[in-house]
Amino acid sequence: MKKAVLFVAVTALMLTGLPRTAQAADPVVIGLQGPITGPWAYEGEMARRSCEIAAELINKKGGILGGRKVEVRVVDDAGEPKTGALAAQKLVGQKDVVAAVATYGSSISETASTIYEKFKKVNIGYGVTAVRLTQRGFKYFFRTCGRDDSQGAFFAKEVPSRFNARRIAIMHDNTAFGKGLAEDTRKALQDLAGTARVEVVFYDAVTPGEKDFRVILTKLREARPDVWYYTGYYAEAALLVSQARSIGVTCPFVGGNAAINDEFVKIAGIEIAKGCYMTNEPLPSDLPYPEAREFLDAYRAKFGEIPSSPWPIYAADALNIIAHSIDKTGSTRAEVLADYLRDKVNGVPGITGPIGFTPQGDREGVPFYLYVVDASGRITVAK
Amino acid sequence: MRVFLEQVINGLTIGSFYALIALGYSMVYGILKLINFAHGDFFTLGSYLGYTFLVFGSAALTSRLGIWGGMVLVTAASALCVALVGIGVERAAYRPIYPAGRLPAVVSALGASIFLQNAVMVLWGPRYRAYPAELIPDTALAWGGIHVSLLQLVILLVSFALMGALYVIIQRTLFGAAVRATALDRDTASLMGINFNKVILFIFTLGPALGAVTGVMVGLYYRQISFTMGWNYGLKAFTATILGGIGSLPGAMFGGLILGLLEMLGGAYISAAWKDVFVFLILILVLIFRPTGLFGEKTAEKV
Repeated sequence: MKKAVLFVAVTALMLTGLPRTAQAADPVVIGLQGPITGPWAYEGEMARRSCEIAAELINKKGGILGGRKVEVRVVDDAGEPKTGALAAQKLVGQKDVVAAVATYGSSISETASTIYEKFKKVNIGYGVTAVRLTQRGFKYFFRTCGRDDSQGAFFAKEVPSRFNARRIAIMHDNTAFGKGLAEDTRKALQDLAGTARVEVVFYDAVTPGEKDFRVILTKLREARPDVWYYTGYYAEAALLVSQARSIGVTCPFVGGNAAINDEFVKIAGIEIAKGCYMTNEPLPSDLPYPEAREFLDAYRAKFGEIPSSPWPIYAADALNIIAHSIDKTGSTRAEVLADYLRDKVNGVPGITGPIGFTPQGDREGVPFYLYVVDASGRITVAK
Repeated sequence: MRVFLEQVINGLTIGSFYALIALGYSMVYGILKLINFAHGDFFTLGSYLGYTFLVFGSAALTSRLGIWGGMVLVTAASALCVALVGIGVERAAYRPIYPAGRLPAVVSALGASIFLQNAVMVLWGPRYRAYPAELIPDTALAWGGIHVSLLQLVILLVSFALMGALYVIIQRTLFGAAVRATALDRDTASLMGINFNKVILFIFTLGPALGAVTGVMVGLYYRQISFTMGWNYGLKAFTATILGGIGSLPGAMFGGLILGLLEMLGGAYISAAWKDVFVFLILILVLIFRPTGLFGEKTAEKV
């Protein structure tokens, strides 16, 4: 008994006595908070794999800070706001974790980012698109993904000029998402009205679950739009396009990122669906950057496939930009990193394109692509 | 004018769907004084069966019979199957309950509706199904700027033919007279030698079959079907029944057509988002000022 007590005491003395300073061989630990379990487990798993690959690629090139390796430490937030706060506490409690990639869901980030802010730890969201998250004046919160309103801005920038369109019709479905996107788009188009000759000639909503939209489509036809944007979901979108074509609406159809998928093509039929456009986050396989090719090759070599959703690669980019900042500043202090990310990071090449942040912490120049249904019914990037 | 004419044709198309479903409600109510809530689900079932026959029998059907012949066969097969289901539902869910009164029968009808809806969901899955576009004979027609589809005209023609045929059967044949007699007074009709069970068999064959035909036509027209759609159509058709006067066959027909027109024209000239509000507002007004419905008093005989 006496011996055991002595042993514990000596060990404790040894542990506290040894000064824990970072050695050159110690890895730099970056946290990943994601939904490893729960309803979004699939997304969480892909984010974990993506961060591992990103870290491996950095380490293969000699690591950061003159040879130190990057290590990913994963905590699970189960896709729940409550668990999200606990997961964040777990990470900030570990002194060797310098920053975190966190997280996938907006409502989870809402609680988790508050913890990170309080304990001064840089946290970068990778699937958190709710606009309000960067309206809170947080110093340590950033995101590599876009915001809910960046899609509307993309539409205003890209679509009227591509179709040489002046008269724009916008239609939504009165859901929070569809209406939000429609309003953002209308606002973005109105902001554009000063410089380009665009005009919203039709703005109205359909009721989800309805089958007959000929009334509203007749109104749309009479408004003579040059292009027509629908921000709702695919079930109604397919009916809308079929019925619109049958009553003589001939202008190009552009759907939001919920409007077009394989089901849309099936319901509308290839004849109707081909030539329909959609605004969407770029899928990993469509990214043209060399960083993307390198990353996806490594991912495929290890896991036999590439991520099937756009979000995991934003996690990899979040990890990359944290590592980049540590390497460039030579510091792991949160204040230094946050200032550097906010002021100095600008056009750093990433998997999802050049990375930069606004003063609020939003991603600058969020990538959105215009997709089109081709003659064989596949959804491809519009040329 | 162009828009007006288009909306009238669209309104008549959707109105004829309501009318055909409403006939099923009205016939059952006329004989049994029972609101058959399962009727909307006969419609859904017909639509799904039509989809299945079309998808799995497509090659054989179109090569032997031509595409229109195939359509007729698919519709007829679906109607036959749903008629059998209708008879089965009557035997299992309604007949044992008649002696208990009208309210338990209505509850049983609701139960049958839930059962059928879930059966469709289990059999075909909860996702949307789409009638294959390439199998549907459809041509867009445009006369002087008016856009109508060939399918729309065929649907209108078939609907009116079916309504006409039903009217002739009920009004001009001996069996029709028996049905009308039963609706007027069941006991006296029985004393005159009319077989009540045969009359029930008749209405539970014809009602669901009409529903099934409508289901197939809705599938062809909109292409997209879901297992819950019977509820919406059932509700609208029920409104049409009340509007026309429940129990009256011409009432159900005109109620459906008026409802379809109201929906389309109200939507076109006032507000599309409010079109259901007009429909139910009219229903409320009719119930307040003319509770027997538009045709409730003019036709003394209820079927």
